[in-house]
Amino acid sequence: MVGRDLTAEASECLTLFAPQTEQALVDPKRAAERTMEMHQIRYFLAVSETLNLTRAAERCNVAQPSLTRAIKALELELGGELLRRERALSHLTELGQRVLPMLRQSYETALSAKMVATSIKKGETAPLSLALSQTVALELFAPMLRELSRLFPGLQLKVYRGSSSEVAEYLKLGTAELAIAGALDDTWSRVDAFPLFEEPLDLVVGRTHRLATKSLAEFKDLASETVLVNGGCEMDAAIKARLSANGIFATGAHQVATREDLLALLKANLGVAIIPVGALEAMSYCRIPLRDLDLVRKVSVYAVAGRQRAMACATLLNMLRAADWDFETAERRRSTQ
Amino acid sequence: MAERALSDILEEAFVRCRDLDAPLADRLKAFANEVQRAAPNLMASVDALVSRLKESDAGATAPKVGEPMPIFLLSDEQGRLVRLDDLLREGPVAIAFHRGQWCPYCRINIDALARAQEEVAAEHRRIVAIVPDRQKFAAWLKSDAKAAFPVLTDIDNGYAMSLGLAICVGDEMKHMMAKSGSDPSLSQGVDNWMLPIPATFIVGTDGVVQARFIDPDYRVRMAVEDMIAALRSAS
Repeated sequence: MVGRDLTAEASECLTLFAPQTEQALVDPKRAAERTMEMHQIRYFLAVSETLNLTRAAERCNVAQPSLTRAIKALELELGGELLRRERALSHLTELGQRVLPMLRQSYETALSAKMVATSIKKGETAPLSLALSQTVALELFAPMLRELSRLFPGLQLKVYRGSSSEVAEYLKLGTAELAIAGALDDTWSRVDAFPLFEEPLDLVVGRTHRLATKSLAEFKDLASETVLVNGGCEMDAAIKARLSANGIFATGAHQVATREDLLALLKANLGVAIIPVGALEAMSYCRIPLRDLDLVRKVSVYAVAGRQRAMACATLLNMLRAADWDFETAERRRSTQ
Repeated sequence: MAERALSDILEEAFVRCRDLDAPLADRLKAFANEVQRAAPNLMASVDALVSRLKESDAGATAPKVGEPMPIFLLSDEQGRLVRLDDLLREGPVAIAFHRGQWCPYCRINIDALARAQEEVAAEHRRIVAIVPDRQKFAAWLKSDAKAAFPVLTDIDNGYAMSLGLAICVGDEMKHMMAKSGSDPSLSQGVDNWMLPIPATFIVGTDGVVQARFIDPDYRVRMAVEDMIAALRSAS
């Protein structure tokens, strides 16, 4: 599913909201409404993109006085002016700039809420494309995907893998609707990041490795070890920096490009590695905290703002954002069940 | 230190009011009176906010009796997806919007709903609560009240906003709320200070609203007896 721009589909959105919008406009009392109405936000978003009231009104297919009235109502709700009106151009005030991202995000979530209201037809396919960073374990999201496929029996997953820049590219091009990764170096202004969880990094060795019995390791324990490095991991540079700062140089290291290969080498005792430990199978590996290692990976889900989201994508995004990612609580819960 | 004390005072007051053996309205009123005594400034801000909302007819565009209730698809406190139309196949549903895990009025309200849950379930009716809070907080709210019904997460108040039930908390109120230990941004995971009007809808199996209660004054909620009566007469 290739994303489409909301802006390019203003008329489609309008059809979706027309009845409510028209009713709201004829009733003068409604102009002073203090709940956040979707049409008000839609008009404000149109102004923020066109910076011109006439063009914004045209795009939203309403008369300009109606648009102005709706934005005034929004200003009342938010307690300040959102626009500084000049002859041809309107500019966003400081308040307008500040509230724009949150209004856009809420509007898009509300738009998704309206969309999921349509019933799922029997046999209807629900394509969903995800781009995951090389080292983010898909297992972490399996419960959500399973639940999603219960609701969307026609779910058709496409999972892409890549480095942080490749993941960003998949997202930009619309190849993937959502990306899940650590920090993306590429900061494109239209990408919204929703932080999910922080994954600690630990030393990981095979079960029969000589360090496997340790409860705490030190950097000096690694001096005689072959370190495995994964060039595809967002944390690669940070890991190498910590190693060399502690006198360990990864020059003689084994290099891999995927998490799977790294785990295979660990299992075979061909080296040790410092990796984000989420969803590591405790059966096959030993996870040992490394003294003075304070690295965590902040994993976020990324979506492109202003791009229409398909039902499965919108639902998964909300599930990911709502989920309880507290690994320890989750583990405790599992063990007490 | 003084700020901490206020949240402690309110927590104690909450426990007293929650445990009262009285109708919901009396318990809510008792708590409001305690807030009035402990923090008259906070109460004055609440009054101002509520009168602004009332003046502006907030919530007026939400579904009315006789109108279809838009379907929701939200996840519950354990991450299971819940669709309104699936619930309706099994009987009428009461949908109760709540502001969040940090809100003592909502905790009292959920507690009152939990006290009525057996009676409701015995008649093949259901209750669902909706909060903008993430699962962890929804789960807390549920276990705090020993509720058996699902507490659903409405991320970004998206469903509430689509019904015209989302409001923005102004700067003055924000400041007051933070002082009394109420910060919705932690439980919501977004810092936009948006909240739902805590409305209740009774929806029949045909998806049509049979009864509703919307009051922008969040200290006042639908009487549990009224909810049960509406659920009973809904088909």
